[in-house]
Amino acid sequence: MKAPQSWFDGGRRMVAPLIRPQGLSPLARFVLVVLAWLPLTFAVWYFAAPLILWPAAMLAEVVARTGFGDIVRAVEQHGATLTFTTSLRPGQTIAGGVVSVDVNMLLYAFGLPLFAALTLAAREPKRVKWLWVGYACLLPAIVWGVLADFLKNVAITAPTQVISQAGFSAWQRETIAFAFQFGSLILPAVAPAVVWVLTHRSFLESIRRTSPR
Amino acid sequence: MIRFFVVFLLWLAAMFGFELTPWGQAWLVEPWTSALARFSAMLVTLFDPGVAAIGKVLRSTSNGFAVSIEAGCNGVEATIVLIAAMLAFPAPWKHKLVGLGVGIVAVQGLNVVREISLFYLGQWNRDVFEWAHLYVWQALIMLDVLIVWLVWVRTLPRDSEAGPPPAPPDATAAVAA
Repeated sequence: MKAPQSWFDGGRRMVAPLIRPQGLSPLARFVLVVLAWLPLTFAVWYFAAPLILWPAAMLAEVVARTGFGDIVRAVEQHGATLTFTTSLRPGQTIAGGVVSVDVNMLLYAFGLPLFAALTLAAREPKRVKWLWVGYACLLPAIVWGVLADFLKNVAITAPTQVISQAGFSAWQRETIAFAFQFGSLILPAVAPAVVWVLTHRSFLESIRRTSPR
Repeated sequence: MIRFFVVFLLWLAAMFGFELTPWGQAWLVEPWTSALARFSAMLVTLFDPGVAAIGKVLRSTSNGFAVSIEAGCNGVEATIVLIAAMLAFPAPWKHKLVGLGVGIVAVQGLNVVREISLFYLGQWNRDVFEWAHLYVWQALIMLDVLIVWLVWVRTLPRDSEAGPPPAPPDATAAVAA
């Protein structure tokens, strides 16, 4: 007879929880440890942002040059800011000038310290591996937000003469607006939680097993 | 697990899409945001009478500093994520409804703390305000959603995840025959 599968771990062998109840429930202890980790992970994230976000900048450049090569001339990283230099002209009065857009990558990357704090607080085996896996999984979400921000700037919020040069149709602009809203309001916050839940099912099951019911 | 995430994403997309429509903005987001500003002002005036809410703006009547509660700061998206996660998780409807009621209060309660804290941080130091506004509180609100969801999952009866109970032996035999 096959044992019923647990929802979280899909029936795999579970790892014994390392967090021992000491007056507090494992979940309460976990929350406290997450809150203790957050200042450190945020500090590392902020001060090491140029390095941590370098792969995201590279990926954004590849996608921008591939998908929007006709309007993107160059993409340069300055610290945590990604500067898109375009072929669009700001107006007839500025001879030789082109439009450039600065995007603060940190706006779309605050999920990294959250994911790191959750992973370190869970104290699961192979947590370094899961940190790397989470980092790799969250990079596309960061790139999504950065590119949508850039496109929103040239297709929606720029002066009319710049928007007309960009040449996006009405439905493309609607799509960009939705992509920007999704990439700024939902994705940066939800992605780390989703990736963490997916990579810590045995830990979640261990917490679930200690429930009062 | 796969089914949960597919259903979660579908609920998330549907509710977020609805939120972005003009109807969703006019009938849900804007009234909610104004109510949030009024409620925050009401709480603040308990210890600081020089605060007023004008629409979705929380304003100090003493120094003129004001914060406007915009999309992403009104807790609507965080609430949508929580609702999607609870609706997608296999659980009895009674537990879902109780979880939604308590969970939404918990998420919005912390969001009121966020609004009030940002209102005072902004008057104290603009750099700290930006940091807290753009990064820290965003992460804390999502952590709140995750914790509320985990607490709710812990309260569920264990058999609610296992699906329908197995068929009785007689019925099984009848099908086999």
